[in-house]
Amino acid sequence: MAGQDLFLEQVTELLPALRAFGRSLCGDPARADDLVQDTVLKAWTNREQFQSGSNLKAWLFTILRNCYYSELRHRKFEIEDPEGVCAAQVAISPDHDAKLHLRDLSRALQHLPVDQREALILVCATGLSYEEAADVCQVAVGTIKSRIARARDRLVELLGEDAAQVTEAVPVVESMGDPEKLRAPTTGGA
Amino acid sequence: MLMSEKLSPSEPAETTAASAAEQVPDWLSNRLRRMFADVMDEPVPEEFKKLLKQLEEKERGA
Repeated sequence: MAGQDLFLEQVTELLPALRAFGRSLCGDPARADDLVQDTVLKAWTNREQFQSGSNLKAWLFTILRNCYYSELRHRKFEIEDPEGVCAAQVAISPDHDAKLHLRDLSRALQHLPVDQREALILVCATGLSYEEAADVCQVAVGTIKSRIARARDRLVELLGEDAAQVTEAVPVVESMGDPEKLRAPTTGGA
Repeated sequence: MLMSEKLSPSEPAETTAASAAEQVPDWLSNRLRRMFADVMDEPVPEEFKKLLKQLEEKERGA
C-alpha cells in the first residue's frame, strides 16, 4: 500500500512536467491534458512494470509519447496547425517582449516534424539526458542528436537571425535543472 | 507498451560527442526552458487531483 501511495505521490509531482511535455508535442492545451489523463491511467494500470529506482519521469514521458502517437494513428494523419491557432493558445500573456518571443517559439515548434520537436524538448527543456531521451523515443542516441541539430537549424531559420538578439530579455530558468546535466548525461532515479 | 521505431536511412547518426549545450545556442535553449517552465508554473487542474484521488481510493478499497 505504501508503495502505491508513493507512486501516486511521485506521479502527482510530475504532472506539471507531463502537461508541459504534452503541450509541447501537440500544441493544444486541452488535448495535452487529455493525453496526460490517459498517461496517468496507463501508468497506474501498468505500475507493476515500473522498476523502482529507475527514472519515473522518463517512463511517464514514454507513455505520454505513445499515447500521442496512438492518437495520431487513430486520426490517420497528423493534424497540422498552419495558422498557429492551437499554438497561439499556449498560455503566454503578451504583456512582455520576452513573452512575445516565447509565443513565436511555440508557434515555430509546431512547424517542426514531431520527431525533431520531441527530441529538442526532451533534451533542452525537460532536462533529460541524451540517453534518457533516446530511451523515451526508442531510437539511438545519435539519432536524437541529429534530430536536435535539424530542429535547431529549422528553428533558427523560422525565427530569423534577429531571434538571438533578445536573449537578455529571457532569463535562464534555474528551476529546470542544472545546466550541467545537459552536458553530462546521467542515468538513474527520477 | 513501448512503441518500436526503426532508424531511418535518412537520419544519419552523429558520431561526435556533441552535448546539448554545444548543439543548441544558449538563447534557444534558455527560451525552450522558459516556455516549458511557463506551463509547469500553471496550477494543475482540479480534474487531475480528482483522478488521482479516485485511484488512491480505489487502491485502498482493493
